[in-house]
Amino acid sequence: MKPFKNLSAVFTTLALTLPLALVSCGEDEKTDAADLATLTIMAPLLSGDAAAPAVDGEMHKAVEALSGKKLEITWVPNSNYGDRMNVTLASDKLPEVMVVQGKLPAFVQSAQAGAFWDLTGKLDAYPNLKAENKQVELNSSINGQVFGVYRRRDPMRAAVLVRKDWLTKLGLSMPETVDDLYKVAKAFTENDPDGNGKKDTYGLIVPKWPGVYATASPYDVIETWFGAPNGWGERNGKLVPGFDTPEFLEANRFVKKMITEGLVNPDFATLDSAKWDTPFFTGKGGIIIDVSSRGGVQLRLFKEKDPANYGSFVDMTGNLTGPDGKKHSYPTVGYNGFLAISKQSVPTETELKDVLTVLNKLSSKEGQILLNNGFEGKNFTVQEGYALGKSATDPAIKTVTNDVMSFAQIGTATNGYLAYIALPAGQAEKEQYEKRVKFHKADEASAVPNPAQAIVSKTQVAKGAQLDQIIADARIKFLAGQIDEAGLKAEIQRWYSQGGQQIVDEMNEQYAKIKK
Amino acid sequence: MAVNRSTPAGRVFDAVNVVVLVALAVVTILPFIYVTAGSFAKESELAERSFFLWPREVVTDTYRYIFSTDTFLRSLIVTIAVTAVGMIIQVLLTFTMAYPLAKRHLPGRNLLLNLVIFTMVFSGGLIPTYLIVRELGLLDTYWALILPLAINPFYLIIVKNFFQELPEELQEAAQIDGCTELGVFWRIVLPLSKPIIATMGLFYAVAIWNDFMSPLLYIDDSTKWTLQMFVRQVTVSSDMANTLGQIDPNYIPPEQGLKFSVIVVATVPILLLYPFLQRHFAKGILIGSVKG
Amino acid sequence: MGKVRLRTRLVRYRWLFVLLLPGLAYFAIFRYAPMYGVTIAFQDYLPFLGFSGSPWVGWKHFENLFSSPDFPRVLTNTLILALLNAVFVFPAPIVVALLLNELRLSVLKRAIQSAIYIPHFLSWTIVAALTYLLFALDTGPITQLMNGLFNARFDFLADPDWFRPLVIAQTLWKSVGWGTIIYLAALAGVDPNLYEAARIDGANRWRQMWHVTLPTIRSTIVVMAILLAGNLLDTGFEQIYLLTNSLNRSVAEVFDTYVYFLGITQGAYSYSTAVGLFKAVVGIILIYGVNWLARRFHHTGLF
Repeated sequence: MKPFKNLSAVFTTLALTLPLALVSCGEDEKTDAADLATLTIMAPLLSGDAAAPAVDGEMHKAVEALSGKKLEITWVPNSNYGDRMNVTLASDKLPEVMVVQGKLPAFVQSAQAGAFWDLTGKLDAYPNLKAENKQVELNSSINGQVFGVYRRRDPMRAAVLVRKDWLTKLGLSMPETVDDLYKVAKAFTENDPDGNGKKDTYGLIVPKWPGVYATASPYDVIETWFGAPNGWGERNGKLVPGFDTPEFLEANRFVKKMITEGLVNPDFATLDSAKWDTPFFTGKGGIIIDVSSRGGVQLRLFKEKDPANYGSFVDMTGNLTGPDGKKHSYPTVGYNGFLAISKQSVPTETELKDVLTVLNKLSSKEGQILLNNGFEGKNFTVQEGYALGKSATDPAIKTVTNDVMSFAQIGTATNGYLAYIALPAGQAEKEQYEKRVKFHKADEASAVPNPAQAIVSKTQVAKGAQLDQIIADARIKFLAGQIDEAGLKAEIQRWYSQGGQQIVDEMNEQYAKIKK
Repeated sequence: MAVNRSTPAGRVFDAVNVVVLVALAVVTILPFIYVTAGSFAKESELAERSFFLWPREVVTDTYRYIFSTDTFLRSLIVTIAVTAVGMIIQVLLTFTMAYPLAKRHLPGRNLLLNLVIFTMVFSGGLIPTYLIVRELGLLDTYWALILPLAINPFYLIIVKNFFQELPEELQEAAQIDGCTELGVFWRIVLPLSKPIIATMGLFYAVAIWNDFMSPLLYIDDSTKWTLQMFVRQVTVSSDMANTLGQIDPNYIPPEQGLKFSVIVVATVPILLLYPFLQRHFAKGILIGSVKG
Repeated sequence: MGKVRLRTRLVRYRWLFVLLLPGLAYFAIFRYAPMYGVTIAFQDYLPFLGFSGSPWVGWKHFENLFSSPDFPRVLTNTLILALLNAVFVFPAPIVVALLLNELRLSVLKRAIQSAIYIPHFLSWTIVAALTYLLFALDTGPITQLMNGLFNARFDFLADPDWFRPLVIAQTLWKSVGWGTIIYLAALAGVDPNLYEAARIDGANRWRQMWHVTLPTIRSTIVVMAILLAGNLLDTGFEQIYLLTNSLNRSVAEVFDTYVYFLGITQGAYSYSTAVGLFKAVVGIILIYGVNWLARRFHHTGLF
């Protein structure tokens, strides 16, 4: 490691390169055909302590060995991945493979301008890259064009967490319908579930939601239960935004009723989302509507506090049946971004095949286990088909565990998840996990897909986030009683008039094309 | 400043002053004590209690976790080295540029000052700067963390104004005694500038220490990362990342206690700089005696 | 001034020009060479296409900005916060520095100084988390205290009327201690003989502060005021963003948060650069304006 080069050398360089810097304005210089003995990758770093995997580390070496290439991976802290991606797109040296965290405008525009390979129809030739679920592949596309190998995620994650000890005390059972949800919340509020003789509890806990409309907030989930579309829906053969449906209104009347009766935390508009666990854990509120992994977080907290009975505090179920007697489940999009391949760094079809072959290897069963679990016998053991992490007192084991968290980000599992499920030790954890698998599986049948997932409209890219903020704000204002139903409808009209109508038109135009 | 301390009004003022300032100090330091206490608390206690200054049960898991690999120590050393070298270069560049600009009769001075002022509000932005750094071959070197921010125009102006207030007679006298301009700068002006050097040293050091955008953009090799990359990675609000749709649904955010300990270990070293520099402020009295 | 004069001056100051050189090189390379980047305000810039490949669109983005239905609200919110900053945040470190200067027990003085500058090192993310904790509805310690004192139910975080006081309080908390440093450095230059003389003239503490201490730091105050003017419209992004919610957005949205939404989440680089350029033009006008005022009334400006 040469910490600092000779200062005068640097200044000489400065002086010599200044003219160069002034004339070159980042126009594309054609780079030589990429040397595909090494593969360059840019990926977000999600390791817990921000230590990026070392190049001479065991994991890095093993992944290189498996892929048959030398790997040069640029790990970028997840918090600012977008900033770094913009700068990288502007430079003429794109990595050959780039993890893209979803259809961000910068990516969409660059892809449409020809920065990345169009992989439509190309992936089926690779058994491990062939999409397990064609709908998800379509979802990840831009108007039907596939610009990356999607990174698979569970298609169903919605769950309702309920304080089990409160249910037992009041002689109630887990809610199955939205009516049950109301009744349980009412009982949690009025029948003193914590037995302290005071009416100081409430039912549902909702935090300040950072995202806009249709971002898996508890409101979005409840609306779907009531039969409203998930984001966009087809009504009379045309795409309509979900908030312009009678079910949307009905669902929000329901939530508003709960809020007015005090069944929801009064600070639902401002509760720090990082503190969502607190009221549940401390016994102020008893119900959370979120993804099922929050159940694990709650278990961890209760385990620290009451190691003997920690399993008796949290119960969990999936989506609830709506007022129409049918179940409409809120799914995920099924993927989390994708691996896109630069056309500039990988200029020929032959090289593209080479890159895809590597990705194919990484997505094999062997590759998935390496990327998602690590080394069997070293940092985890297999028990009943689950991966049990070894307690990490040995720094070498801890390094592997940490590196695995990072390397999981370059895995795709497009062909389905073949690695082991990591499970923390403990009977309650195992029971909770098995329950969770069961209701997710059951809910998949009633999933309400967003038919517009694959569609990217120009106006949506330019104005969508801002416009959807109008809806998210209006919804909260309606629930807080600051505007009435007429006010809510007026805000929806404002969405249309400020560019929403244009989005609806563009969406429908594309939708007609894709449906063919 | 032992003045009028015996008058009753003076004593009342002193008492009130002490109370006000101590209260201010307490208000500013309490949250940091909470962060420190939280770094030694169990996760369940952090979820349960809203604000506390001492954990019910002291645990050091998070610290042991941080120090269990050499990553943290390595980046601590990197950060200290970059901060020290960077601060010296930046102070040097700032002072050498500010001194000529303080001379009222320097030809072209007004033009140069206006050019400097202009950069206070106008900048080319992230991407062009990145391209320049790349053209200079500074990517993945520590120089990328120092040189692009070598002179802060605000600090330059502050130093320039400080120089302007130094007594001209003194410098002229020195010149008559046969000193060159450089000699005056080195032997007369700089020794008189200790408080402002200390202040600027602190400002620059803290800026480098807290900078996370430069390592994020310019450094690929993670063995060269500074501490702020840790801090950012662990503490950045999930709120913001969530808005951008950047949260991986499989991602479990780091524990609150870990966030707090990373903040503590990344903040304490730089906090120690100020008390160390404080004594130089007192030495500035010199200027006064020269003036008088 | 004749040519000869200029020449002799150039010769006379030759060593000063040598001193200037490294700094000039820095400004040329790292500040002016990237300046072509502002042109993307007149393009539909796309990083992949680069500065030369992106299409030119003239004043389109500025027209969109000024005709946007959001513009009046965002401008008003930004100006109000800027004004509050100038009135409350700017003088605070001066007052604290003067008070610290009056402390006679130097151990206490140093301890207090070291304590009050700590918040500068905590990121806005942490400050926001602490704010949510302390001001939470019904449960925050400060909320409970205020509820008890005024027998009311304060909703600091959601009530739009409390948004600006909270922002100012946060800024004060985070920046006052740090801001005193520059004034304390200036105060270090006060000649003790001046106090002696003032005391002999029978001046009390208040008059000494007014007639001896304050004049010493007056030029520093002027410089800081001019610098503040240049950044008046920079209200900070993270701080505001983290404190914004659906119920207070009407007063919370400022240029910095507005640009963030457009620039980062919607990839509107050119539009956000146009907004930045508008802010910069306002900033430069304010700098020259305040500088002119300072020269008029104080006889020394910035330049």
